Amino acid sequence: MTNGSIALDVQNVSKAYATVRAVDELTFEVRQGEIFGLLGPNGAGKTTTIRMALDIIKPNAGTISVLGGPMTEEKKARIGYLPEERGLYDDMTVLDTLLFLGQLKGLSRTTARERAERYLHEVELWEARDRKIEAMSQGMNQKAQFVAGTMHEPELLIIDEPFSGLDPVNTRIIKNLLLRMRDQGTAIIMSTHQMQRVEEMCERILLIDHGRRVLYGPLDHVREQFAANAVEVDLRGELDHVPGVSRLTPRNGGYRMTLEEGVQPEALLQTLVTMPEVTVERFERVQRSLDDIFVQVVGREVADVEDEEEA
Amino acid sequence: MRKSWLVAASTYRRHVRSALFLILTFGLPALMVIAGGVAVLAESGGTLLGTERAAPRVGYVDQTGELATVTSVTVGQGVVPFVSFTDVDAAREAFDAGDLDGYLVIPDDYFAGPNAGAMPTYYGEESPGPRVESGLTAFMRQAMLPDAPAWALERLENPSDVTYVAQETGQRIDQGPALVIRVATPAFLAMVFVLSVFGSANQMGSAVVREKEQRAMEMVITSISPRQLVIGKVLGMSLVSLTQIAVWIVGALGAIGLALTGALQIQDLSIPWSAVAWAALLGIPAYLLYAVLGAGLGVIAGDKQQARQLSGLLGFLGMGPLYFMGALVNNLGGPLGVGLTLFPLTAPTIALFRMTLSEVPTWQLGASLAIILVTLAASIWFVARIFRAAMLMVGQALQPRAILRALREA
Repeated sequence: MTNGSIALDVQNVSKAYATVRAVDELTFEVRQGEIFGLLGPNGAGKTTTIRMALDIIKPNAGTISVLGGPMTEEKKARIGYLPEERGLYDDMTVLDTLLFLGQLKGLSRTTARERAERYLHEVELWEARDRKIEAMSQGMNQKAQFVAGTMHEPELLIIDEPFSGLDPVNTRIIKNLLLRMRDQGTAIIMSTHQMQRVEEMCERILLIDHGRRVLYGPLDHVREQFAANAVEVDLRGELDHVPGVSRLTPRNGGYRMTLEEGVQPEALLQTLVTMPEVTVERFERVQRSLDDIFVQVVGREVADVEDEEEA
Repeated sequence: MRKSWLVAASTYRRHVRSALFLILTFGLPALMVIAGGVAVLAESGGTLLGTERAAPRVGYVDQTGELATVTSVTVGQGVVPFVSFTDVDAAREAFDAGDLDGYLVIPDDYFAGPNAGAMPTYYGEESPGPRVESGLTAFMRQAMLPDAPAWALERLENPSDVTYVAQETGQRIDQGPALVIRVATPAFLAMVFVLSVFGSANQMGSAVVREKEQRAMEMVITSISPRQLVIGKVLGMSLVSLTQIAVWIVGALGAIGLALTGALQIQDLSIPWSAVAWAALLGIPAYLLYAVLGAGLGVIAGDKQQARQLSGLLGFLGMGPLYFMGALVNNLGGPLGVGLTLFPLTAPTIALFRMTLSEVPTWQLGASLAIILVTLAASIWFVARIFRAAMLMVGQALQPRAILRALREA
């Protein structure tokens, strides 16, 4: 598979449990060489979507194409998975666990050992290789599981909350490993509630709620779509009124300007540079955090559903 | 199949390294061997520990007046000295003084015959030991036949060790201990099977529940199909159980061997190899069948307690043939006997039981084997299907509706 080719193609997929529609007509695709954020509130249908992609459960409708076709036993060796509900065999040592899981992914024992050694060094777990899983801390366990899910160097990696339970140092280790895998062409689907990580790492995102797609596309486009109608400006000079600005708030030696309806930031900039009493030193459109966008979208969705129910 | 073997090997290694397995597996036979060893030591009268006196001194009183004087007899590599006394009081006095280990009194009517005359009496310590016992036998032979050549005395130790052969078939007819071995072997194997499946179903169910509880399943299942995983788990756990059983059998045989040292000669043991072969042919796949069904019950169960209860029922099913024994004895080849021989869960026990008392037609054994193999394959398919549906349901039992849905979606 080459960078940009489609690693996972989900088309109109639905899944229902009894009367609950967990996933509803969902469509998205993930490409090689990207980190794709799969977002949504608890119970939105993310895990069900992942499990259907991995053929752990079957969809009621729609099609899923993995690495160029339907899921097969052979393809399992080309896919890595770190589930949210995870665990390893308590009574096995770290190294034995990795050798076992690596061989299940099709590695020879020799290669599995080489990879396990390399990755354990990288995640700073080599010293704990002979320790039993049950004797390790949550963070160490988490890193061991990460290695178990990635040591076969998959083409498609699906990770659910990869940073939970990790301190900042270990978070950085895992983050760097993920970025390296992406650079090597791996398609990575990252499901997480840590919006900061998504902003740092993901090129594109899918936000689902109640099993439906509510946001989908490049992260930049999404942020642009939800950008606040405001700018932050540093300038020399005093201002008490600016045409086209509904609210002017002094902030950190500059101003935050909320634009009137229909006024574009470009027009405001033009206005400011033509004002003789001020000199513009910095002009920046206010970006809304993904966290805010998430809350806004999911909150609105919830409100919509409640409205529908009331109606 | 490679992945199934990987799972089997990993499962096997994990379980045989556990402290519980080591205690259960080696503790029991160790106790048996120790018990057997203690029995042997007691029987040996201290010979094995080197605490017995170098030459036990035995007195005798010949009230018949007919016996030749014997001063010593040879027993194995050693010599047992004998001292003659004219009357019982003198012999008792010497025993009380500590000069004798015991004394033998041959009554005056000894030669009146075994039906009319009294038998000799030995007075001594509580357990004279095999050396004294052998010495007394050798003494009587030598005292009665003082002029007999050495070879005759040797042959008289076992004068008529007859081999019985059926004229028509030319096959050896077992008698004595060999007959016991021929009859007891299938019964013993049937009992081993019943006890094994009882434990296996339980172990398997608990192992699957534990697997679900450890939450490693979701990761593993993206590397291996449910069918491969079920086969691997069943193989691994079965090998664990078979290892345990093998150690127990070796331990039991060791203990029995120690306890019976010298009582049976190896050449006396006529092992009924055809029964052993059928026990293996029927028993191993039937054992795997129980393990697969045990795994299935573990899949359905929500927790270990439920798994134990469900697999307990399966275990009782394995012991089911014992309830029919009374009815079977009178009509081994009747419809009930044949039916239970063909039913996969009772086949090994009933077939082996029938073999202890009569011949079982080969077609019945062959058909039974075929039915077991087909049932085993179907069970693996079934358990793999429900496994997929239940593996993510930690702490929840699989409801009948979910089982049906899992089978339908398959």
